[in-house]
Amino acid sequence: MSLRPGGLAFIVVTLLVVLISLPVQGLAAENTIGVIMTGDIPYYQDLHKAFMARLGQSGPLSKTEVILQKPYPDDISLSNAARKLIAMDVDAIVAYGAPAAIAVVKERTKIPLVYAAVYEPLMPEVKARNSTGVYVRLSISSLLRYLRSLNQINTLGVVYSSHEEDSVYQFSELTKLATQYGMKIDGINLKRYQDAEAKFAGRKMDAVLLTGSSVAHMAMGQVIEYAREKKIPYASFFLCTDGHAIVSLAASPNSQGEKIAEKVQKILDGVPPDKIRSEAASNIELIFNMKEATALGMKLSMELVTEATRLIK
Amino acid sequence: MKMRYGITLLLAVTVLMAWPVKAHCENEILIGLIPEENIFNQMDRYRPLAAYLSKKIETPVRFTILSRYGDVMDRFVSRKMDGAFFGVFTGVLAMEKIDAVPVARAVNLDGSSTVQSYIFVRNNSGIRDVEGMKGKRITFVDRATVTGYLYALSYLKEFGVSDPESYFMEVSFTGSHGSTIYAVLDGRADVGTVKSKIYQLLVAKDSTIKEELMIIARSQEFPDTTLFLRKDIPETLLSRIKAALFNMEKDPEGITVLKKLEAQKFIEAKKKDFASFYDVARKAGITVKTYKYK
Repeated sequence: MSLRPGGLAFIVVTLLVVLISLPVQGLAAENTIGVIMTGDIPYYQDLHKAFMARLGQSGPLSKTEVILQKPYPDDISLSNAARKLIAMDVDAIVAYGAPAAIAVVKERTKIPLVYAAVYEPLMPEVKARNSTGVYVRLSISSLLRYLRSLNQINTLGVVYSSHEEDSVYQFSELTKLATQYGMKIDGINLKRYQDAEAKFAGRKMDAVLLTGSSVAHMAMGQVIEYAREKKIPYASFFLCTDGHAIVSLAASPNSQGEKIAEKVQKILDGVPPDKIRSEAASNIELIFNMKEATALGMKLSMELVTEATRLIK
Repeated sequence: MKMRYGITLLLAVTVLMAWPVKAHCENEILIGLIPEENIFNQMDRYRPLAAYLSKKIETPVRFTILSRYGDVMDRFVSRKMDGAFFGVFTGVLAMEKIDAVPVARAVNLDGSSTVQSYIFVRNNSGIRDVEGMKGKRITFVDRATVTGYLYALSYLKEFGVSDPESYFMEVSFTGSHGSTIYAVLDGRADVGTVKSKIYQLLVAKDSTIKEELMIIARSQEFPDTTLFLRKDIPETLLSRIKAALFNMEKDPEGITVLKKLEAQKFIEAKKKDFASFYDVARKAGITVKTYKYK
């Protein structure tokens, strides 16, 4: 039996294709997960670390490819990140923060969405048949209450970003509360963190409150600089590992990361997202930075100190 | 000689036995305070009363915070205290375990001398009943309090929850009524239970708290914090303490002290005032003698 030259070439090519594709098949991940952060800030980095660690515990990470997107927290960048992951046809999309989650929902994709750190009042915008996750129930009035106990506040500077829905909501909540407390609100809408210095210049504020905005937290360095210069307290709705505010009230990123990893694992195991309970973040931390307060010449009352879940000395 | 040794030994033993008990009465009256609110605020409110009593009974009176509810009785005995301001449960414990005697309690500014237990949630939590509490986080004050724990336990039992640990996602104890309120306000817990008086005090200081919280259950009335004294306190001293307390509202200096305490006057306290405790204890399924409150 003899082979025609064309037939031989066909066999050689087929063999080559099989040989080339074999190792690739052997190493290829079984699942792909896309992750979108609403801005590259320490809070979401910690959340992601905890997510990856728990995901590694629930199954070999070598079988799961995780594609991390860190777009700038504005509508277009977030939407582009979501579209990119949808185009890649990932098995699940994980979104940190309400703006990222909302960007995914707006794309009307059927890909399961698992969210974390979504401010509870924005849940109606995130809830969908194919979504589940962890939302955050935090009290902006509590944070304001703690801040007021540090200084007489006539004018409160509120840093938010009109690109981030959660921070806009918190800004409006604060405006309502301010009337009850007889305070004036000076809203600082930061669309770019690089503008912070210019936006703070010339303002007279008795305290600064950073809403749960990634842009605001990207400008943490400038906020600290301003607060130190003016010797005024500042509070944050996030935990900032690289610069703790004098008062921080936030849901622990670690426990959220762990919880969503469990939910993602269930989805990968075939459980539909609407059968996985969405839940409130349970580990809420109230942190007082005594070191910074002392440096600014403020004394934290013992009443405050006893309420703290963590003190930075 | 042997006889003299015997008498000396007997005298020495008598003195040694009597000394620890009488030590405080002779030199100083030591009164404990259970932590109801932030202990620093509480101490601030009570300090003028100590100075006032010291002057009136001509014996120094000192107040000290009993750090934890659960340790109250042990500390009372080990620190050789002469008395303490006890809540309902600790008061009953003091009566049953060390025969302490209820002496006086303050009448609040609104004319009440009783308190209730409130079970409360954040207004926007969506929790309105026991069913809605399932899988949530509940925070109590301490196992050794009626208004901050036992009433809630009896209430939950009434609605079929006999094991809070399995019904709730998280069960915690804050150690004070004030901290329980702040824990729910901040979102660190979903459900809390506290003494009505502390709740009202915080609401009076900041009206926004009232708008943010919702009371979903109220208990029957219990006697408010009551001053108990050791059963063997000398009668003359007891009379002087009572006279000082019960006449405070007629004395300008006393009125200033009462103002600081946010009270109108002191009235006499009796054992029978604590009857309502036993009803809650029965519903909660506990007996004072066997209940592990530590």
